Amino acid sequence: MALLAVEDLEMRFGDRLIQTGISFTVEPGTIFAIMGGSGCGKTTLLKHLVGLLPPAKGRVLYNGTDYWAADETTQSRLRGGFGMLFQSAALWSSMTLLENVCLPLEILTKLGTTQREARAREVLEWVELADFADFYPADLSGGMKKRAGLARAIAAEPPLLYLDEPSSGLDPISSKRLDNLVLGIRERTGAAVVLVSHELPSLFAIADDGIFLDADSKTPIAHGSPRALLANATHPTVRAFLAREEPPPTVPAGAGAVISAAMAQPGDAPS
Amino acid sequence: MPLTPMQLSQLIPTRPLTFLGQVLIAAAAALSGRWQFRSKDVSRVAADCSARAVPIVTVVNVLVGAILAFVGAVQLVKFGAGIYVADLVGIAVAREMAAIITAVVMAGRTGAAFAAELATMQTNEEIDALEVLGLHPIDFLVLPRVVALLLMMPLLYVYGCVTGLLGGMVVAAGMLDLAPAAYLDRTLVAMDWSHLGLGFAKSFVFGALIGLVSCYSGLYAERNAEGVGVATTNAVVTSIVGIIVLDAIFAICANALGL
Repeated sequence: MALLAVEDLEMRFGDRLIQTGISFTVEPGTIFAIMGGSGCGKTTLLKHLVGLLPPAKGRVLYNGTDYWAADETTQSRLRGGFGMLFQSAALWSSMTLLENVCLPLEILTKLGTTQREARAREVLEWVELADFADFYPADLSGGMKKRAGLARAIAAEPPLLYLDEPSSGLDPISSKRLDNLVLGIRERTGAAVVLVSHELPSLFAIADDGIFLDADSKTPIAHGSPRALLANATHPTVRAFLAREEPPPTVPAGAGAVISAAMAQPGDAPS
Repeated sequence: MPLTPMQLSQLIPTRPLTFLGQVLIAAAAALSGRWQFRSKDVSRVAADCSARAVPIVTVVNVLVGAILAFVGAVQLVKFGAGIYVADLVGIAVAREMAAIITAVVMAGRTGAAFAAELATMQTNEEIDALEVLGLHPIDFLVLPRVVALLLMMPLLYVYGCVTGLLGGMVVAAGMLDLAPAAYLDRTLVAMDWSHLGLGFAKSFVFGALIGLVSCYSGLYAERNAEGVGVATTNAVVTSIVGIIVLDAIFAICANALGL
């Protein structure tokens, strides 16, 4: 059974159709990309998947349970199964980084205060922000906010991560660093990742599968990994979007090994 | 012709009523021990709308007490009734001015801050992040603010009464050569519990009004910089107009009840 299955989803704002006929599945450990031009509804799709916007039609299934048909208790349980990094990072500005990472642990786990704090510090260490635990979001750069947002999303080790344009607005080095972090997290926790991105280097480097949303036809027009789409897609919009950049050499297996080692807990066997 | 249910639903402002209902449900859940907010958030907001508001509440209430005493002294001295300045100031402050002036100050200070903070959180997707985590913004953000204001406004009212009376006493002592002891004695004779009770009840209601209006304005703000400004303006203007309207309703009710 798929970790996430989207069946014939239709998104509308009032009478305005955003996208229709969206169907795909995400298996554990997969990095799935939602691609498309600006304004085609990628972030809106993410909001439908995480329970922020109800679909006009169709189903969103987590391990076979329809999120939008479920009662509030079930929805709450299902939400515990995913973490999300927002486009703006959306860190809670009145809390320090440590408090930002601790809050999901407080809500989603039964850890005590000391354990929560230890876990939050550990996750901040993974994203190289351990020295900034007592800083407020306003004191951080854009890249640091993104990494802190990622730390918050992965703190409770959810099996599914949603990342909304994680590398947008970052310099190439920070962007690459974030890609490695995502690969490292996947390798370490086995989490699936659903990624919205415009960044071709990032898409080619980490995505295993994906869907391409078209703003004109308001339907998905291609399905497959960015590399496969670049090689095989016939639709001119998909080709124009992906051919802006040649894909980098194929990411070797174990690309996340370096970061994975950095993330290893004391006592863990080296990966 | 009677209205159809559809026409009726269009006339009734459903969103504010839904918001009020959600706050009441969240409050009932909190009272039964199922609260989602953090106690330290209530403490933080309570400190912000009490201790940090004291200087401005002091200045405004002292001056209002002094102004009332000035006006009263000028008129009452003509009739040889200068001592009754204490009655005028005491009753006006306890019954009306301390509650209204403190509420207006809090609407401009704390209400605006609540609306701006929540509207900015809305713009920055911080509220979405809470919802994804399963935290309802009504429980986590609105309730601590409304509870803090409900608890702190009556305390600020009492403090406003004391400072207002002091302002009046200083003016009476300066203009009319009234001894502070005589002024206080006269104030105690003039005031009774009904005046204080009425002012206390008003401050409680005004606190709820400011908290609800400002949180509503912030929570349903447009997600842009202009939206933050509009939310803040709406919160302050609606709160102040609401305070005056509620005070008028209090006056009518008090008159009808002979208070």
